[in-house]
Amino acid sequence: MTTILPECDIPIPQRQPHIICHDPENILLPMCNVQTVPGDMTERGCTFAGCRGVVGGPVKDAIQLVHGPIGCAYYTWGTRRNLSDTKLHRKYCFSTDLTEESVIYGGAKKLLNSIIESHELFPEGKAVFVYSTCVVGLIGDDTEAICKQAQEKIGIPVIPFHCEGFRGVSQSLGHHIANRTLFEKVVGTEEPQETTPYDMCIVGEFNIDGDAWIVKPLFERMGVRVLSVFTGNASYSDIPPMHRAKLNIVQCQRSSTYIAKMIQDKYGVPYINVSLFGMKQTAEALRDVGKFFRLEENAEKVIAEELALYQSGIYHYRKKLEGKKCFIYQGAPRAWHWMGPMRELGIETILTATTFGHKDDYEKIMEKANPGHICIDNPNALEIEEYLVKLKPDFFIGGLKEKYLTYKLGIPFINGHSYEEGPYAGFEGFVNFAKDIDVAVNSPVWKFINQPLEAK
Amino acid sequence: MALMNKSLPVKTVRKPRNVTINPPKMCQPMGAILAYMGVHGCVPLVHGSQGCSTYPRYNIARHFRESAEVAVSSLAEDAAVYGGAKNLTEAIKNVKSRLNPALIGICTTCMSETIGDDVRLISKKAIAPDDTMRIIPASTPSYVGTHLTGYDNAMRALVETLAVKKGEPNNKINIITGIINPGDIREIKNMLRVMNVNNIFLSDISETLDTPIMPGGHKPLLPDGGTEPFDIIDSANSLGTIAICRAAGSAATYLQNKFKVPAVLAPAPIGVVNTDRFVQNISMLSGALIPDEIKKNRGRLIDSMVDVHHYMYGRKVAIFGDPDLVSAIVRFCAEAGMNPTVAMTATKHKDFAPDIKAINTEYKTDTQILEGTDLYEFHEVVKAQGAELILGNSKGKDVADDEDVPLVRFGFPVYDRVGVYRYSILGYNGSIYLLDQMTNAILGHKYDPDKLHQ
Repeated sequence: MTTILPECDIPIPQRQPHIICHDPENILLPMCNVQTVPGDMTERGCTFAGCRGVVGGPVKDAIQLVHGPIGCAYYTWGTRRNLSDTKLHRKYCFSTDLTEESVIYGGAKKLLNSIIESHELFPEGKAVFVYSTCVVGLIGDDTEAICKQAQEKIGIPVIPFHCEGFRGVSQSLGHHIANRTLFEKVVGTEEPQETTPYDMCIVGEFNIDGDAWIVKPLFERMGVRVLSVFTGNASYSDIPPMHRAKLNIVQCQRSSTYIAKMIQDKYGVPYINVSLFGMKQTAEALRDVGKFFRLEENAEKVIAEELALYQSGIYHYRKKLEGKKCFIYQGAPRAWHWMGPMRELGIETILTATTFGHKDDYEKIMEKANPGHICIDNPNALEIEEYLVKLKPDFFIGGLKEKYLTYKLGIPFINGHSYEEGPYAGFEGFVNFAKDIDVAVNSPVWKFINQPLEAK
Repeated sequence: MALMNKSLPVKTVRKPRNVTINPPKMCQPMGAILAYMGVHGCVPLVHGSQGCSTYPRYNIARHFRESAEVAVSSLAEDAAVYGGAKNLTEAIKNVKSRLNPALIGICTTCMSETIGDDVRLISKKAIAPDDTMRIIPASTPSYVGTHLTGYDNAMRALVETLAVKKGEPNNKINIITGIINPGDIREIKNMLRVMNVNNIFLSDISETLDTPIMPGGHKPLLPDGGTEPFDIIDSANSLGTIAICRAAGSAATYLQNKFKVPAVLAPAPIGVVNTDRFVQNISMLSGALIPDEIKKNRGRLIDSMVDVHHYMYGRKVAIFGDPDLVSAIVRFCAEAGMNPTVAMTATKHKDFAPDIKAINTEYKTDTQILEGTDLYEFHEVVKAQGAELILGNSKGKDVADDEDVPLVRFGFPVYDRVGVYRYSILGYNGSIYLLDQMTNAILGHKYDPDKLHQ
């Protein structure tokens, strides 16, 4: 038996297949991508979150219009740190703000007017993305027809995303819906102004805290032309010509492999998976791309330049962090993206967990895991707490919702979703990451946890 | 200087819009969760999609810098077809078996309301008739009201479900907080302690959402603190109920109608007159005298206003947030000699416009009233009316930056500054703090340093 039922889950034994203790002799993957146990204090979000918050949201010059009651728009207003060099997509929040009347009589007219008004007020918006929330799916607004009508009227693309929150089991379906919608409605609608033999798209890179600004120039310095980044700091106009790339590289392999596959199947553009985190993995990604484009020497030159600049920083932090143990709990890919880089710092990941991982995510984790490694699918708050108390990692990389729980237990924490002081990608970003881990682990604030106050 | 402009006719043409742009409001489950988080041993359970619990939790984490455990019934496609009874029943059972809470506070959502789940019936069937755990069913669909009405609905559901008349008065005063900060609650408690008035807070997040790190890093399963359920039961036997935010005061009206507990729905205690009224109301309901310490604090507030009046006279200030806090701050700004140009709230409330109009009459100000609208419109009116200072939550940052004026943060959520939840802006002491914040913001923003030497 390599599945585990933690104490907090004794009343809900259906959680057992989701929690694995890794045994290389008997490899088992956690049960995944299934409905959450109701009431289990899940950390999961909804399909809308995956579509609006993760994949569609970073497109910087699209008016991001949420069709639904106010909450869903508010909660995705400037929250995820998907930076851009313009203000539209993070500064403004657009919503049809549906009320009871619309729920009874339909929200079609309000949506149509909202699209037109948004365009009039923000002519700098190059497209309108319309996201459907739960209630829209239930009342049955024909958003396809309304968006088509609006597009004819305002003359810019109006793209409906059918990402009602109740669909699917997690954010994951929302990623898929965003990929499919952008592929079907946008990719291939325009040809690039020019093409070169070295055109490439970076897929699944959302410019969290500026990641794309670090990794994109690495490839450009090699002589690759980055046709588009999907969708970090992307303009709407970056998406239509994606089909003319010679190669796609996929960083977030959970949220965005879909579009790379669809482009491969329809247009014959190959894609390769990359990890642009850590020195070794980033170097490997550059080498893979160099090999594809026959730019091997250029790749080696960029790698050498980067290592000369940043490797000493990693050695510096390794000395301070060697022997530490960590938990990584992320959406999915960053859990396995970061296991290797942690080893470059002398850190062992003793537990990984993902909110919405699929089988391939867990395969990638198990490839990297040591015997005894604990892996949890869709962990809930009680399981996280139980394992933090039981295994006492030196630090935990999670998301904001877990941050303050971890602090109360006296355990250092790094926000892996939006980062502390990123960017974390690429060679330079990995030094930032290492520094944040050092700050977290070696701050003097923790020493007071075990110094109770007693009368003298 | 600024006050001279007020005589100019104000012409702000406001075109009705369908699209909402930059709303400083959230949906009902957000507020309902905050109401439940203030009750000891109460686990909030959102009956809806998973985003409906995750997003409010995220907001609580970033404002209070605390974790907030909220359960969700994880509705999916099958519920859209067959209803959500199965999920809600299972969720109640699982929360009970793992956390053994005294209460489960249910918030409904767009989805569960639209599919028409009968939450009362489902939750009644979900537990044994002799179960001591109580379930609070609040109706909080996101397409009605805002976070504040969600708070109000959950608070009323708590009182409606639990409060029982015993016959014997308990000599306590109920305080319905509304959405205010732990620091605010501590200050109000302090005032009641000084006045020697026993109290029941409905509800009390001052400990549950401002928890200490204790030796060894121990974290209780459910947070310490919060109003005990037996106190909510006992709220029917109190001397009276004061709602700090009238927009969250329907439980006070319920207690008055049902149990004849007098309800006092008055402006929030910010500034001299509103805090005076609050203190007088406590005194009136409890018979307590007003002790010297309260009078000295009042004197210190007046002293602080006198100290800064040369800096603040005529300063144009634009304020947005929840209605009762905004109208009370507008009055306080007028009391301090400032010129409140814009008062904006996204949550409509019947008292808001009359409050501001009364201040305009009394202080000959010309504060523009924006109700049920968004920050895009607020910004347009700020541009037309002018502001040297903006007061509001973190969502006001872009307006303040665009106008190149400072933002003094209050309300919910404030996530881009630390510690705002720790300090009170209520009562005499809180008002002093708020005025000092406003003055220092003015002095810290392009103020001629030579003029600061006395």
